[in-house]
Parts: sequence; C-alpha cells; structure tokens
Amino acid sequence: MATNEPKKDPRLLRLLGSTLWPSFLVAGMASGVFFASIDPEALRLETLPGVEISRMAGYTIGFFMFWLVGLASSLLTVLLLGSVGSRGR
Amino acid sequence: MAQKDKQNQDKGHSSHEMYAAREKIHPREVKGIFQNLRILSVIALLGIYYGLPWLQWGERQAVLFDLPARQFHVFGLTFWPQDFVFLALLLIIAALSLFFFTALAGRLWCGYACPQTVWTELFMWIERWTEGPRQKRIKLDRSPWSREKILRRGSKHLLWILLGLWTGLTFVGYFTPISELTTRAAAFDLGPWETFWSLFYGFATWGNAGFLREQVCIYMCPYARFQSAMFDRNTLIISYDEERGEPRGGRPRGIDPKEKGMGDCIDCNLCVQACPTGIDIRQGLQYECIACAACIDACNQVMDKMEYPRGLIRYTTENALEGNPSRVLRPRVLIYGLLLLILIAGAITGISLRSEVNMEVLADRNVMYREVDFHTVENVYSLRILNKSMEARSFRLEVSGLDDVEVLTRPEVIQLGPGGTDNINARVRVPRDQVSGPGNPIEFTLVAEDDPSVQSRSRARFHGPSPE
Ligand code: SF4
Ligand code: SF4
Repeated sequence: MATNEPKKDPRLLRLLGSTLWPSFLVAGMASGVFFASIDPEALRLETLPGVEISRMAGYTIGFFMFWLVGLASSLLTVLLLGSVGSRGR
Repeated sequence: MAQKDKQNQDKGHSSHEMYAAREKIHPREVKGIFQNLRILSVIALLGIYYGLPWLQWGERQAVLFDLPARQFHVFGLTFWPQDFVFLALLLIIAALSLFFFTALAGRLWCGYACPQTVWTELFMWIERWTEGPRQKRIKLDRSPWSREKILRRGSKHLLWILLGLWTGLTFVGYFTPISELTTRAAAFDLGPWETFWSLFYGFATWGNAGFLREQVCIYMCPYARFQSAMFDRNTLIISYDEERGEPRGGRPRGIDPKEKGMGDCIDCNLCVQACPTGIDIRQGLQYECIACAACIDACNQVMDKMEYPRGLIRYTTENALEGNPSRVLRPRVLIYGLLLLILIAGAITGISLRSEVNMEVLADRNVMYREVDFHTVENVYSLRILNKSMEARSFRLEVSGLDDVEVLTRPEVIQLGPGGTDNINARVRVPRDQVSGPGNPIEFTLVAEDDPSVQSRSRARFHGPSPE
C-alpha cells in the first residue's frame, strides 16, 4: 500500500518544476524590461480607452501574460524532448 | 505496528518532496570560521532585507519602488522610466560581478549570498531550535506521532509560516509604504494585489527554504548549470586533498598514520553529514556542491581532535592541488574586472550628471510645414516634459540651429510640479529665406528659470518648402 501512490507521481512534479519555474523567471525579467519602457496606462489609452484598468492591474496582467507565453513554450519543449508522458522514457 | 508506522512515516515524508524520492537531508551543525562567516553574512543580508523598507528618508520611505507612480526612490535619488538605462546598467553590472567573483572564487555567491542559501539557513535555524540537532531530528522523523512530535513539528511549521508571511509582506513593502501596509495587514485590509503578491512571495520562500532546499540548487537554478563555464584551473574551489587523505580508514587516536601506511582521512563521515546537499566531497568536485564550506569546518574539527594539521578539505585551486602555482591575476579575471570598473564608473557619472528635467520631441506628423505669411514658415512639435526633481519648477524653451529662428509655446513659461509631466505644443518659426527643403536640423533646449544648469536638449528636424 505504501508502494503505489500514483497521485504523487514525481514526473508530474518534475514537469511542473521544469516548465513553471523557468517561465516564471523569464516572465519576471520580461515584465521588468517591458514595463520600464512602456506605461500600461498609455497602452490602455491606446487600445482600450473605454475600460478602467489600474496600473497595478496592468502590470499584473502583463506579468501573467508573459508567464503563460513562457509556460507554453516550455511545455512544448518538454513535449518535443519526449522526456515526459506515457511514451517517454 | 512499529513497521507500519515507519511505512506511514516514509510515505508522509515523500509527500512534500517535489522531485523523485529523496532522502531528507539533515545537515549536521558544525562550528568553524567559515560557518561564522556565513552566519554573519546571513544576518547582514537578512537584516538589510527586513530592515531596509523601514528606513525613512525625509518625508518618505528611503527605498520605495512606487510602481503606480512609476518612480523608484533610492535614498536621495529618484529614478523614472526615462532612466531605464541605469536599470539595465545595474543588471549588467550585477551579472558581470557574478562572472568576476565566480572566476575568482568559484561559487562564493551560492555559499554566502544567494537568497536560496540565506533563507534556507534561517529556516534551518528554526528547525534546529524546535526539533533539536541532527540526531534528534532523524529520530523525530522516524518516531510515531506523539505529543512531543506534534508540539515540535507544529511549532516549527507555525514559525515557518509566520516567517514566510512576514517575508512576503516585507517584499510588498518595497512597493507600497510599509508602515501603512503593516497597519492595514493587521486589520486584514490589504488590496488584492498586495494580498496576492505577499502570499505568493511568502509561499515561495516557505516552500523553497523549508522543503525544496538543495533541490532548488540541483534542479531549478540556472546559475548552477552555467557557473562551471567560468571556472578554470585557478579558480578557488573547495576540495579534498586526496593525496594526503588516502588511503582513508578508522584508527585509534595517537598512532602515526604514516607508519600504518594510511592517509589522514579517518573516514568519520562528518563532512558528508555536514553537507547541506548531501554529497561526499571526497569524490571530487561535483556540481551539487554549493561551496558552503561546512565540510571544511567539520573536517578541521576532526583534524584538531586528531592533532593532524588542518586543511585536509580546504579552499584551493586545481593548480595548487597538482602542485602547480596558482595565478590570481589572469586574463579572464582582469578583463571581467576592467569591464566592471568601467561600467561602475560610467553608471556613477551617469547618475550624478543626470538631468533633472526630461524632454521628448515629436514632430507633428500631419502637416510638414505651414506658411504663416509670405515671409515665415512654421513647424509644430509636440513636447513631453517631465520634471524629475522633487520641487516645483518653471521652464522656458529655446531653439537654435537656424538663423532668426523663434519658438512660441503657450504658456510661455512652463510650470511643472514635483515629478509633474505635461504635453506642450511648440511652434517654431523661421523666415522663409533662411530655410530650404526638408530636414534642417534644429535643437530645442529646455532651461529651468531658477537654475540654468538644469536643462534638457533634444534634436529635431525643421521642414521648409523646397526651393523652386
Ligand atoms: S545553486 Fe543556485 S539556488 Fe543554489 S545556492 Fe547556488 S545560486 Fe543559489
Ligand atoms: S561538499 Fe562541502 S562545500 Fe560543498 S556543499 Fe557539501 S558541505 Fe558545502
């Protein structure tokens, strides 16, 4: 009973560790550089002048967008490397 | 029954391990010079982290990254998005210093300064304090749940969680005035962003320093992967002196190992027990080694006890180990160092020469030029002006580059509050016989009325009609 506990599959956790984490690092840097030169307020006025979005909300949305993009790319990399998944070894 | 408990224990154990089954590492506490240095550095760095937001500078928090206002305050200086180049410079300097110190002294950063190490150390102090030294912790891990275990474990986790929360709150305190933040936190009245980021940062600290620990270094850290590229045979590493130590083996005290054909290593395993990443330094340089020097201190204690000379494990270089001379000053180090000096000097001069006013000029794209009357041509520019100083100022715009050029702004004197920005239209007029064709260079100068040294220049182009 102690031997099989599929819920704690280390591969899944490993997958998260090698995708969530690097994309998080890159998203942090990317949002730093991006928002240092671009004011989310100006961006909002250019694109969605009718919607009220605070600067803090703008930064956060931007950060998560970068994170998602990075995550997608990391996941694809993992997929292509084939190291994870039912057929991976 | 006892067997079952152990199984359960093992299971509960692996449930919070992120990666493949791993023995929880309980590093043995050692004392020695390097551990004292590390304690010093942990206290200094954490003192800075937790203390800095509480410092006041005049009316405001000394270090405050005010994201909603897009201003960074660092003691007497205020940085604006227009000063982005300094942020970039700072990052380059930081990266280069990392290269420099790595080439010189290996993973000094990992052992003494990395937040991962520093917070792990702090969390381990708590662990040691609540659960006792290594032997006791290992026993506690194995023992069934008892009142004592619940108490010890419980207080450890409670302290960890509190510390994590405080760490997260402090982090947000760099972005929101902290005294007000803590008051509101005590009243459970934080805004959504503040709540999210303090919990997020607190959770990351708690998870990384409490549970993941050396796994962050081994599996997650990019620096650990590329640092070896900066190593060479003269880099300071922590190494076991195989020549001197082998053949290892246990022995009674007081015998002369040479007579028995033995080396100095008594195979007590203390260096392994002390290692926070659970490796055996005697197997050679491994990339798991974060150069914390715990094994040096552990081994030196043993050497003292055995009355052998210290330094069986020591800071050394590959060259020194092989009996070759080590060179500290080598091209790699000199180049990194020189670049670093140039960049630091550049950043300092740049910051001290930084203008207190910023101006961006945009030409009116719709109309190239306008003929005001038969004699005069006019171009219109839109200026974005930012007063970076902390006092209200008035400015006047001047223009040069063409004969008899004049500029009109409305109002003529531009007033800006502290940190204020404004968009101004500037009409530049030139007599028709002074310009021909498009693209004549002109220069705008914005000068503060109270202090002519406070100014900002910007180039632009003036377009006139082409000569017939
Ligand atoms: S390996 Fe990475 S995370 Fe670990 S101490 Fe070094 S820099 Fe920090
Ligand atoms: S081998 Fe020594 S220096 Fe390296 S991590 Fe282990 S104890 Fe620290």
